[in-house]
Amino acid sequence: MNENQTNRLKQQALKIGHLVGLFIAMAIICLPGLWIVLSSLRPTVEIMAKPPVWIPQSLSFDAYVAMFSGVGQGGIPVLDYFRNSIIISVTSTVIALAIGMAGGYAFARYQFRGKTAIFLGFMLTRTVPGIALSLPLFFVYAKLGIIDTHFGLIIAYVALNVPFTVWLIDGFFRQVPRDLAEAAQIDGCTRWQAFWQVEFPLARSGIASAGIFAFLISWNEFALASQLTRSTNSKTLPVGLLDYTAEFTIDWRGMCALAVVMIIPALTLTFIVQKHLVSGLTSGAVKG
Amino acid sequence: MNKLLTGVSAGAVLLMVGGTALAQELPGKFEGVTIDAKLIGGQQYENLYSRISEWENATGATVNVISKKNHFELDKEIKSDIAVGAINWCVGSNHSSFAPQYSGIYTDLAALLPASEIDAFVDANIGASTLDGKLVMLPRAQFDVSAMYYQKSLYADEDNKAKFKEKYGYDLTPPDTWEQVTDQAEFFANPPDFYGTQYAGKEEAINGRFYEMLRAEGGEYLDADGKPAINSEAGVRALNWFVELYKAKAVPAGTTNYLWDDLGQGFASGTVALNLDWPGWAGFFNDPGASKVAGNVGVVAPPKGSSGARTGWSGHHGFSVTESCENKEAAASLVWFLTNEDSQKLEAGAGPLPTRDAVWTWVIEEAKDDAYRKEVLEAFQEAANGAYPVPQSPSWIEISNAVYPELQAAILGDKTSQEALDAAADKATAILEDAGEL
Amino acid sequence: MRGWKPAPHVLLLLPAFVVLAAVVVVPLLLSLYSSFTPFRLTRPDTIYTFIGFRNYQRLFADMEFWAAFGRTVLLLTIALNLEMVLGLFLALLVEKATRGQRLLRTIMMFPMMFSPILVGFQFKFMFNDNIGLVNNALQSLGLTDQAIPWLIDGKLAFTSILIAEVWSSTSVFAIFILAGLMAMPKEPLEAAKVDGCTPLQSFRYVTWPFIMPFAFIAMTIRSLDIARAYDIVKIMTDGGPAKRTEILWTLISRTAYSDARMGLANAMAYVAIFLSILFTVMFFRQLAKARQQIGAEW
Repeated sequence: MNENQTNRLKQQALKIGHLVGLFIAMAIICLPGLWIVLSSLRPTVEIMAKPPVWIPQSLSFDAYVAMFSGVGQGGIPVLDYFRNSIIISVTSTVIALAIGMAGGYAFARYQFRGKTAIFLGFMLTRTVPGIALSLPLFFVYAKLGIIDTHFGLIIAYVALNVPFTVWLIDGFFRQVPRDLAEAAQIDGCTRWQAFWQVEFPLARSGIASAGIFAFLISWNEFALASQLTRSTNSKTLPVGLLDYTAEFTIDWRGMCALAVVMIIPALTLTFIVQKHLVSGLTSGAVKG
Repeated sequence: MNKLLTGVSAGAVLLMVGGTALAQELPGKFEGVTIDAKLIGGQQYENLYSRISEWENATGATVNVISKKNHFELDKEIKSDIAVGAINWCVGSNHSSFAPQYSGIYTDLAALLPASEIDAFVDANIGASTLDGKLVMLPRAQFDVSAMYYQKSLYADEDNKAKFKEKYGYDLTPPDTWEQVTDQAEFFANPPDFYGTQYAGKEEAINGRFYEMLRAEGGEYLDADGKPAINSEAGVRALNWFVELYKAKAVPAGTTNYLWDDLGQGFASGTVALNLDWPGWAGFFNDPGASKVAGNVGVVAPPKGSSGARTGWSGHHGFSVTESCENKEAAASLVWFLTNEDSQKLEAGAGPLPTRDAVWTWVIEEAKDDAYRKEVLEAFQEAANGAYPVPQSPSWIEISNAVYPELQAAILGDKTSQEALDAAADKATAILEDAGEL
Repeated sequence: MRGWKPAPHVLLLLPAFVVLAAVVVVPLLLSLYSSFTPFRLTRPDTIYTFIGFRNYQRLFADMEFWAAFGRTVLLLTIALNLEMVLGLFLALLVEKATRGQRLLRTIMMFPMMFSPILVGFQFKFMFNDNIGLVNNALQSLGLTDQAIPWLIDGKLAFTSILIAEVWSSTSVFAIFILAGLMAMPKEPLEAAKVDGCTPLQSFRYVTWPFIMPFAFIAMTIRSLDIARAYDIVKIMTDGGPAKRTEILWTLISRTAYSDARMGLANAMAYVAIFLSILFTVMFFRQLAKARQQIGAEW
């Protein structure tokens, strides 16, 4: 009886500890973000105040209104940037996932010579710092005439994301027992059918997380974008952030407002894709 | 043959003979011509671009903006273009501090525009836009020189006045020399709540501030032979000004990591007494929605160094026409249009300083009923009189990058001023030698 | 008629090969070549002057370069390990939660939505000594009456950058480890419980070996991707003051574009690449080992 009680107490304490830990962790993660949201709503005089103004005195959507108003009235071509960002991120993610699925499947399911070396080689392409790549890439792009185009940036992002989409998807295919696909093939499926009907659904969570990754990296990438884009034809949102900086001034409130506009779609997408991250895993099939 | 070309050659002939030109020929007619342009982006600069369509209507040409970025990004981009030989555009935004690096790609505008038009600009600005006798850009109304902003109430306070007089033996008035700035900054400072002054402490900003202080102390950055001469006595005096304020905690501890945005926000937060800053902030500081010191801002000309000269590091934005441009006349016409009187009035009306004599007169006239604006303009006009650009060496930015960490090392106490400047001079010399300039 | 039919794995890998060759390998060869020239952006002709190993010799004799090199290794090591530990805790916390999983997981990934340059600006303002959020909070709470020079003092500046870096990237570890936790079959854990293992023991001997590969994947990806830290450092301190926070990438990009000495910068970049390769191979080995442990074939 007594032991039971202490056990229950222990359980309770653990639970509370867990909740407190969770809360603190989430708070640390969220605070800087909330600060950005708040900064976009407050007048600059309050953001940069000393002594600090902890409780907002006046909130307004002025920065957002200004952002969407015309050039010269504090506006920036945010819709163009948004369009470019969406097109470039989504397309490059889809392509990177397709290539990654092909490559990952090859690594997970086939034995061939030089496998480790090729795999490592793929990874090592990611070790090249963007700065070493940016000028030569610019050189090649200039010769091909694809500077400041969606196509150019999409290809660059695909290359940026392929190494780890391959890797991640490989890892998740490995988790799917080989017997399942073999069983399906014995049941009369082709390898292609077996892939789509048995292995793909099981590795879906991995593919989803690789997808989130690729998308977020493309969505936020700055170094290459700033070199390869030039005008509203292809400038993306992260590059657009710098529209709020001039030689001597910075409009921090405006920048925060644009940041919020950038974060919301990414957040929404992540929230939606979550579902797939779960559903692939909860099915008991993994246990085979 | 289009009309402008004749006009220009006629103008050039007239220039040799007597100097009157045919301004009425501008902007000219360029039916069907397309001009590719790279423009500087950012709130402060974009108002002007609404005038582009007026030029298009007047000339029949079209302008294709192929790039819009802030200056540092644009600098990177233009250098990349030079590197891969892709100067396939006509008009580019330029800046007097960056211009020497890419002087080779830009054409001489003096050969394309009537002399009377060029004469209408402030002489010093034209001088700063001329490299090796070539007018590489036409200045727009974005001229930058610093003046001293201060909190008026501090100087009106009787208690402050009495205490200051007692301690330093002279009256507390807005500073006219850098020595007074030191005294007053130390007097007002009450860290961590309040600071006497502050300075931009990194990158080309601290180097620029050091450069002007050096000149105000009677030294020079590059001597007559183009050799770095910063480790002179004047150099040590100049650097010591920064070091002493830092040691006395009269400036924020973070000042060596401040760039312009931090300075502006700091002064606007009301925690800094004196702030040497650019004209672009004048409106911001006096805007109650942005600044706590609104209504309490005074402006005076930049103080004098021991040589009696005021500090006056300056720069300006402008537009250039590339050497490889197919239709230079049309491009020059666009550049002229974006810097003509109406364009400058449009820009200067919003706060930035003009670079045409007539527009200076105009803005001062416009401001006569606005006491603050008038005070600002008077201070900056005085500053403009003593203003000078950075040395026109293509290696200037590179030297700047090598020198500023040394300046920081001295300010933070890692090195003495002399050690730091010796090291900096060595590095600068090596850079100039590498570049074949020495 | 014997049509040549490539093996399926060749076909499957082909697209990846093509893309990587076009976007990475070819430009890389170009920049390798330029590292043997005194190439200056503003003087395009200099790319045709071959100077052998001059740039490399210069680097190897340059103490400032090696200081930046050492600092980069230090930053990498501390940041990656810290991120892994914190990421593990975060993943465990989230995995244990019984309700609101979707929301928690989304919040967990929140920092990944921030563009690194934004993170840089954000933490620069927060760590501003005069009007920054951190000092304001500390002063309001009465914890200090000093303006702590977060971005000035060498150690503090390093710490501030580390905090920004860890804040923005711990999510990467957390999400991978969480994915590993979720993919883990439940039987071994139940079996361990039946066998009388304490929670700590079952974590150590059952859970950890299983999620290790995921942690190492995250580690490797992060070590590849850490040049991301460049944007953050660039905006927070740009390597300053007085080179106290100079890392390889700030040095390289300043040399490459601001100084326009692309040849020299590319030589530095190649040294940096070797550093990344070293880190990658190291993690990769550990990953292979970890995989063997849980019996996956390799």
